[in-house]
Amino acid sequence: MDLFLAQLLNGCALGALYGLFGIGFGLVFATMGILNAAQGAYASWAAIIAMYAIELAGLPFPLAALAGIAAGGAVAVLVDQLGFEPLRRFGPGNHQAAMLGALITSIAFWIMLDSAAGLMTGQQSLAFPPGSYPATVFQIGPLLLPAMQAVSLLALAVVGGGMHWLNTRTRFGAAMRAVGWDPVAAALGGVNSRVIVVATAGLAGGISGLAGILAGISTANISAGLGQGLMLKGFAAVVVGGYDDIRGTAIAGLLLGVLEVFCAQYLSSSWRDAFAYALLLGFLMLRPRGLFGGGGFTRA
Amino acid sequence: MSDLLEDLWAAYASTLGFAMVNAFFALATYATLSAGILSFAAVTYGAAGGFLGAQLLLNTTLPLPLIFLASALAGLVMAMIVAALFLRLESHWMALSSLALVLITRVVVLNTPGLTGGVNGLSLPAPLSMIWLVALLALAVFGFWLLDRSWYGIAAKSVREDPSVAACLGIDPRRIQLIAMAVSGLAGGLGGVLMAMMLQFVSPDTFFIHVAFTMIAGVVLGGSHHWFGPVLGAAVFTALPTVMQAVVPDLQDIANGAALLLIMIFLPRGLLDPRAIRLRRAAK
Repeated sequence: MDLFLAQLLNGCALGALYGLFGIGFGLVFATMGILNAAQGAYASWAAIIAMYAIELAGLPFPLAALAGIAAGGAVAVLVDQLGFEPLRRFGPGNHQAAMLGALITSIAFWIMLDSAAGLMTGQQSLAFPPGSYPATVFQIGPLLLPAMQAVSLLALAVVGGGMHWLNTRTRFGAAMRAVGWDPVAAALGGVNSRVIVVATAGLAGGISGLAGILAGISTANISAGLGQGLMLKGFAAVVVGGYDDIRGTAIAGLLLGVLEVFCAQYLSSSWRDAFAYALLLGFLMLRPRGLFGGGGFTRA
Repeated sequence: MSDLLEDLWAAYASTLGFAMVNAFFALATYATLSAGILSFAAVTYGAAGGFLGAQLLLNTTLPLPLIFLASALAGLVMAMIVAALFLRLESHWMALSSLALVLITRVVVLNTPGLTGGVNGLSLPAPLSMIWLVALLALAVFGFWLLDRSWYGIAAKSVREDPSVAACLGIDPRRIQLIAMAVSGLAGGLGGVLMAMMLQFVSPDTFFIHVAFTMIAGVVLGGSHHWFGPVLGAAVFTALPTVMQAVVPDLQDIANGAALLLIMIFLPRGLLDPRAIRLRRAAK
């Protein structure tokens, strides 16, 4: 039973990272309709910058993490303005062409950012210096909770709750959803869609960056490949949760993490990804709009 | 002079070969895209064709044309399964599902070592002769040209532009898209076995995300409104790394990405754009 609970906790902590990354990934997809292949690179960049902020600049961990998050956001805004903005002049009615074009430019940025990240780390797998991040282990009854797992769970709760609040309760969130529905109609309604798009890109980059930093600590592996693993599972979380639903993504992320850890523990560690992706496929077949999704309709 | 040509050929023959193999994958993606479906599933059709072809090559003495046929049919069967599952999804979800399918393909390949060699993959003995590759690609391109001129080609264009309008005109979008998936499966399956023979090796990583991105980049780069676009795009996208390595060896990947980005921003409809050609002709 103790093992079960301990693994449940490990799964939740892992899943929190998937959920966090998924929130960033889903935000871009829901607001801009872009399948962003470069999203994983934001996570790698944030982790690398945060690590160098500690190693070279000697910043304390919270400040270094902030620097990493800011770097993730800045890279995301840069990618958006250089890679996606020129394609938006296609305008409405050519949605598929614009979406395809953005997918290709995001692949271009993925290649560039990953290879630049490889140059920054010297093609090696690095790690945060030990002692630079909180390493206390809390004891809750029979369970041991390392501080960084607690931080991951807390981060998911804060970011998930905050983004859900932002999305459903504020004017900014309403503007974001309006731009996601139709940028021209949103502009006619008085929304400055360029500002919204830049802000969304920055937010998404920052959230993905946070996921990258936390993943870099919990796996003790900071490299150009860090983002890709997060991206595959984060993508799964987005689809299972429903791409425009932040609560769904967070819960689906946790679910995937728990599933992965339990499969590795009780079934077979080589099939653990298969279960995650089977769940993904099952959701696409049975509930394509995600955990909490409602019915959809299309206009002619 | 002839020495120089021979050197060039030796250096770039494999690039040319891979350009042609990638052209099959790009054509497979173009097949569905020209009926309005963005799908990455051609990677899965390629895996079906590639591993079946590899097993046939290793364990039987079937003549090559039969192996090609069997692999293309394996792709077709896979495409029909995918069509049955995915075709009712909306376009965004279709794209996401097919991407998920690529991830699942790799896990399945990894965990069925009896069929696929698992982590170690399968090694194939004889290399593929360039003549076969050219002949098959010519055949495929001819097939796409015929399709483009046929009743199906016209119907597919209307479904791509607007499925609801196409339905009002008496075209069944579902049926057109099913045909598109079948064509995609055939091209993908064939591309899979050719990729396996070209590499003389197949492993779970042979058919993964990078193939999906290569082929979609090839199609969009070359032009997704003309049957020759994917072939051209695949050639450019395959040759780009080789060229960049010769020009800027240290920053090869960054230069690749930048080139792709610039082409996309300045030629968003691809290198080969029938609309631009028609406009230019009309202006004369």
